[in-house]
Amino acid sequence: MDYLRLAQAVVEQVSRKGVEAEALIMAGQTTMVGVNKGQVEQLSQATPKGLGVRVIKEGRMGYAYTSDLSPQGVEESWRDALTLAESADPDEYRSLPQPQPIEEEDLALYDPALDTVPPEEKVALAKEVEEAALSLDPRIVATIRCTYQDEAWHIYLANSRGLADSYERTVTATYLRAVARDEKSQVAGLGVGLSNFYGELDPTAIGQEAGKRALELLGGKPLGTQRATVVLDPFAGAELLFFISEALTGEAMQRGRSFLLGKLGQKVASEAVNLVDNGRLPRGYASAPFDGEGVPTSLTRVMEGGVLNHLLYDHYTAQKDGTRSTGNATRGSYRHLPRVSPTNFYLEPSPLSREELIRGVEAGFYVKSTLNTGGINPVSGDYSVAANGLWIEKGEVTKSVSGVTVASTLGEILKNITVIADDLRFVPFYGSTGAPTIRIEGMQIGGK
Amino acid sequence: MLDPDTVRRILDEALRNGGDLAEIYLEDRTSLSLELEESQIEHALRGADRGAGIRVFYGDTAAYAYTDDLSSKSLLRAARSAASAAKGSHRTQVLDFTRCLSPLEFPIEKPLDSLSEREKAKLLHRIDQAARGYDPRVSQVQAGYLEYRQQVWIYNSQGLWAEDDREIVEIRIAVVAQDKGIIQTIRSGIGAQSGLEVFDRIDPLAEAQELAQSAVRMLDARPAPAGEMSVVMGNGWGGVLFHEACGHALEADFINQGSSVFAGRIGEKVASSLITLIDDSTLPARRGSFRFDDDGTPSQPTILIDQGVLKGYMWDLAEARKAKARSTGNGRRESFRYLPLPRMTNTIIAPGDSYLEEIIGSVKRGLYVKRLGGGQADVAKGDFVFSVTEGYLIEDGKITAPIRGANLMGNGPAILSEIDMVGNDFEMDKGFGRCGKGQRVPVGVGQPTLRIPKIIVGGTE
Repeated sequence: MDYLRLAQAVVEQVSRKGVEAEALIMAGQTTMVGVNKGQVEQLSQATPKGLGVRVIKEGRMGYAYTSDLSPQGVEESWRDALTLAESADPDEYRSLPQPQPIEEEDLALYDPALDTVPPEEKVALAKEVEEAALSLDPRIVATIRCTYQDEAWHIYLANSRGLADSYERTVTATYLRAVARDEKSQVAGLGVGLSNFYGELDPTAIGQEAGKRALELLGGKPLGTQRATVVLDPFAGAELLFFISEALTGEAMQRGRSFLLGKLGQKVASEAVNLVDNGRLPRGYASAPFDGEGVPTSLTRVMEGGVLNHLLYDHYTAQKDGTRSTGNATRGSYRHLPRVSPTNFYLEPSPLSREELIRGVEAGFYVKSTLNTGGINPVSGDYSVAANGLWIEKGEVTKSVSGVTVASTLGEILKNITVIADDLRFVPFYGSTGAPTIRIEGMQIGGK
Repeated sequence: MLDPDTVRRILDEALRNGGDLAEIYLEDRTSLSLELEESQIEHALRGADRGAGIRVFYGDTAAYAYTDDLSSKSLLRAARSAASAAKGSHRTQVLDFTRCLSPLEFPIEKPLDSLSEREKAKLLHRIDQAARGYDPRVSQVQAGYLEYRQQVWIYNSQGLWAEDDREIVEIRIAVVAQDKGIIQTIRSGIGAQSGLEVFDRIDPLAEAQELAQSAVRMLDARPAPAGEMSVVMGNGWGGVLFHEACGHALEADFINQGSSVFAGRIGEKVASSLITLIDDSTLPARRGSFRFDDDGTPSQPTILIDQGVLKGYMWDLAEARKAKARSTGNGRRESFRYLPLPRMTNTIIAPGDSYLEEIIGSVKRGLYVKRLGGGQADVAKGDFVFSVTEGYLIEDGKITAPIRGANLMGNGPAILSEIDMVGNDFEMDKGFGRCGKGQRVPVGVGQPTLRIPKIIVGGTE
């Protein structure tokens, strides 16, 4: 079926009711493989698809979605959206964006070869990942959820202002936790690899990463309660930046939900801090030629030399601030309304290597993994996580640390970032946020 | 939804390359959500998710395929896809289906459609007004209404035929208070597996005012202390402590993998004698309840820890097959797009006999946790954290100053053994809990107030 035609047909039909209309159709293919102890635990395959219809009637917005693309399912959906718009309140800034020219450039998002990879090969890859972890060291005794996953999506978007466009993207990923055990302790370490291109996943490196991250944390002991220098590895850094990015949208500012409220144009971080959101990053996990409502994606320099210069906008929040959308309307799927959020958001690396960064630490806590839920709050600015990692003494790693908390506030952390390394890495668990290794002064460690 | 002959044809197709067991899970879910912020209804959304998942077991492997197109043609294609991944050694016959009936009733007094969308929208406006009217320092209110009806039909080649009909309704509220450059936010919710009568039992407007009061009070909060101290956990939603501290580590997949700190420890004393932990999916009106789980196994209460002794784990069909154990009816999935996993349902700590005043009074210097955010667990180490959204210092047996949000962290097995006071004030949560383990499912928790003699508080002072 020609889905772009169908999306346009839905838009034409609905807009006859005197409303603005938008239709998004996504059709895809997914495979998921789970292995454990060399056995396939699950092999799941599907070809999902669905439609989301957005209607704006005199500033009132209604939305409906369905996975049923039969003529009846489609009609039920747009009629629901029309009816629902009546229940919403009018808002003068609510409208759909005009189509804009989209730069022709290859963002390297789609791997046509993925379609030709047989499931057996994907199973073999997942087994290889697990084997790489288990064979690294006899102390690696198990893996948790060793998974290979891929998705290919065709995305079609049309609106009543004349937009009709489409693109396609693929993503392949494998991840696992490796469990290391000795007489006294048991620790899990995470390994993850992600690429738009199937052939670029390195199963050995991913499995070994999980194993190494578990092994180095074996035998960890708590520290005494103290204030100390903290080094965040890219996993912990990406988590931190993800929550900071949530405070940097036009929406968070307009609604007073940001610890940086009223700080636009001010110096809020150390000189070393340059934060970038780039929706056009080639091979970026969150890259796309246009965003969830059809606006071209872009590169936004959010913080430069520690100064908060720009916010992230979708069409609605931009209208409200009298500015242009930065192409940050994202949507998880056709089941979701577009919402303003970061794309590929990262802290710019410096030329310094990680080893040099570590060597410069007189005494400090090198955080390798965190547990956090709600402990990082982009509204109040509180930061508190449980952490495992390594202790650094005179530039050398000396022992493993576990069972402590690390706390500060997001505002203090931004000001106390003193050194940034060159090892920028994107971590898919927090949107598509990237961090190099970061050194932060004076954080509070809670322990014995 | 489908006639038994069609189901049989699909399962036959799924088993055409052999296999031990074939299953089809059919789901029809319709949902409505309304969201208010800036004192206006901004988002109004309706969704329809209809689809089926087909699973073929061969040995310990599950081949799975799902489709969101319920035509016979598409279902047969999904069955072939699952079959192509299966490599069973023997042919399995599809037995005649016998409908399983459940004795459980989840009555609905006020059906979800007894209020119009506009009336539901008005309720959110009244919540907004109630919170803003409480204090001028309330600067923002987010209120969301969600309802869904999920009907499921499960058939398998052993003749199983189970159906369930689950209706969930909830209101979530976040109140932001702002004063002199300090911003605090408190969120909570109310809901149930029931009709709209839940809002007669728990008044959303009173809830909104209570949240406003908490958010405003938190404006004066001092930074939390850092280091080890005594903590008194509030009742009700405080039960999320056990959900994280040991619940996940008692799920059978982690046990079979050998990755859980509780693997191989049945019969051992793993907690203080004051602790009895139960997972119960049969409780009426609770979010984690159902008549049949997503494998078609009837719901049941399961004693996990009895007066400190580890009694059992939570099993789904797939993990039970591997270990030759019996499913405890803990197989749950977010939707037809996922394979079931062993999951908690409503996880509760049985009451003890201490009075709240007695528990607070016994603490020289510590923390009283009134409201928790979410939590997270590391099943391998047994460590867990959860965030305190409303907490107070306890000084010389009295609740004193509010403290700003901090994570608490502990080691599950250690904390379980150390708990030394359990209250008589058992309460269930207010019905908005959701657990994420790759897939999100609604859960309930419940507990009395209890005392942990020492746990690490992740503050900044």
